[in-house]
Amino acid sequence: MTRVQLVDISKRYGPTAAVEHFNADIADGEFVTLLGPSGCGKTTTLRMVAGLVDPSGGVIRFDGQPMNAVPSHKRNIGLAFQSHALFPHLTVARNVAFGLEVKGTPKAETERRVAEMLEMVELGDYANRMPAQLSGGQQQRVALARMLATDPRVLLFDEPLSALDRNLRDSLKYSILELQRRTRKTAIYVTHDQSEAFAISDRIFVMNEGRIEQAGSQLDIYLRPQTEFVANFVGDNNGIPGEVTGLVAPGGEGEPRLVDLVAGGIRMRGLDPGNVRPGDKVVAFVRPENIEVLANGHVADAPNIVRGRVDQIVFEGPTVRLTVDVDGTPLKVISGGLERLTLLDKEQREILLRLQDVTVVPDDPAVAA
Amino acid sequence: MASMTVDVSPHAGRGSGPRWFWNALAHGYVWAWMAIFALPFLATLIYSLRTPDGVWTFSYYQYVFGSFRENLLLSFETTLITIVINLLIAIPAAYAIVRYPIPGKSFILSTLNLSLYTPAAVMGVSLVIAYAFLFRIPQTMIGLIGAYVVGTFPLMLVPIIVALRDLPMVFEEAARTLGATRMQTFWRVELPLLGPGISAGILLTFVIIFNEFLVTLFIAGPGLTTAALRVYNLARTAGFQPSTAALATTMQLVSFTVVLLFFHFFGSRYLKGTYLI
Repeated sequence: MTRVQLVDISKRYGPTAAVEHFNADIADGEFVTLLGPSGCGKTTTLRMVAGLVDPSGGVIRFDGQPMNAVPSHKRNIGLAFQSHALFPHLTVARNVAFGLEVKGTPKAETERRVAEMLEMVELGDYANRMPAQLSGGQQQRVALARMLATDPRVLLFDEPLSALDRNLRDSLKYSILELQRRTRKTAIYVTHDQSEAFAISDRIFVMNEGRIEQAGSQLDIYLRPQTEFVANFVGDNNGIPGEVTGLVAPGGEGEPRLVDLVAGGIRMRGLDPGNVRPGDKVVAFVRPENIEVLANGHVADAPNIVRGRVDQIVFEGPTVRLTVDVDGTPLKVISGGLERLTLLDKEQREILLRLQDVTVVPDDPAVAA
Repeated sequence: MASMTVDVSPHAGRGSGPRWFWNALAHGYVWAWMAIFALPFLATLIYSLRTPDGVWTFSYYQYVFGSFRENLLLSFETTLITIVINLLIAIPAAYAIVRYPIPGKSFILSTLNLSLYTPAAVMGVSLVIAYAFLFRIPQTMIGLIGAYVVGTFPLMLVPIIVALRDLPMVFEEAARTLGATRMQTFWRVELPLLGPGISAGILLTFVIIFNEFLVTLFIAGPGLTTAALRVYNLARTAGFQPSTAALATTMQLVSFTVVLLFFHFFGSRYLKGTYLI
């Protein structure tokens, strides 16, 4: 039962910073994912928690105790590697027993615990096999049993599924979540795969270039991206540069604050990010599935409603994907439901669109479109 | 090696001449070369079994159980001690060279390997000079083993470096996060996984030291006659007697047997390292 705190953690290799000002307070039993592209510093952060990399600055605490000076083998953690990292010269059972043996656990207790762990990952019959005789998924399950055998305080996962094929990944990620829920251990999971992150996390930290871009629940990250990077990295999005034209007077209590803007020649009303003023450069983001195709007869002269010409239609089964040209701005539109079928003959024709749930983020010149 | 099987049979479909002819030719070619390689040894063996009058006899082998036994034991002793010292030097050295950022790594490596390119006679002379003028340990066991270590420890170092380089860091990290100390990680994970490199080093050192005589000739004093040196001395003083050939044959068999035993006990697992896949 461990609360993990990372206070202003950074790691520099010479002049380059791998991780900068990383702050996180992870509650006991929470499942946190560090999500980001390769080289964003997520693995370095995880390895600092594991004690395999020394931070250049900042403090790592487990339940309030500083861990910086505690060597890896005394932190009582479990780390799952991208390659399962099973010891090739030891049987499955000896692999699982490894952590117990080096800690001097009595033999009978070790044997009982190994059997229990192998049973838990449904590999009880494989105790005497060598790792090379198992399939990739079985190997990763043995690795999970091995990391759980010592009853660690914190579970750390370094892209444990990225070497496996898709079907296996899907089933194993739920096994990992289930094991974590059952053992109620604090978990930090590193991945570049957003579907993995969305499936299993309580909280997601989106990282880019060594910094946290945004931390929050799946809904926060997906529906309320706070930076251009997050809006583009997570899910599919239409990013349209524009300018704030005015702040909308707040409505009733609890209603979201809105701003008016013009982006790509389109008049829109979007969510106020809270830090913009009229005249500011911003980027408006609309998810393809949040663009509604309107039936004829609607008036085009209202905010968020635009007329465009359909350039391309791709039928994908459950959805139809359109590319619509709005005064030179290409918009991606995804339409589902039965109405998708009415769109199939609309190529090169004009249609009316309603842009819903427009997210506004300040224009960051550092992020190339 | 005994297990030398070469598949040189032509593939089906080449279709020039009968198959048995090509097979016979291919096997004949291999066996012809085998015979050429084995010829000196076979000649020595036959020579040691015949008196000058042409009578077949084992009588020359009586010397083997006399003073030559002492020489063989000394050879084993020096070889064994050298292997142990080589291991004690090479494992930490390989670890430092591969795992730690030492400046001038490649320079250190080529310097360490220098003794491999040095002619044995040059090495012998250099060591005699060094020992006599610097350390005052010529003609002692320490001097002899020192010479062997200097001459052969790169043979131990290089295979271990290669094995350690090929050993992913992830095993060490896994062991560490599972609670193993550095020493536990070394004994339980790294050493077993370095098995192929270490056994290769041991085998190379054995083959070289056990059969080495030129440097020994320079360094060894009276009472420090190894088996190889004894054979050489006998050939020099007594000439090429059948009794000398008997000692040479015995030495060859001992060396060959040790290598075969080594392969038998460690070969399948440690030398091939197939379990590392």
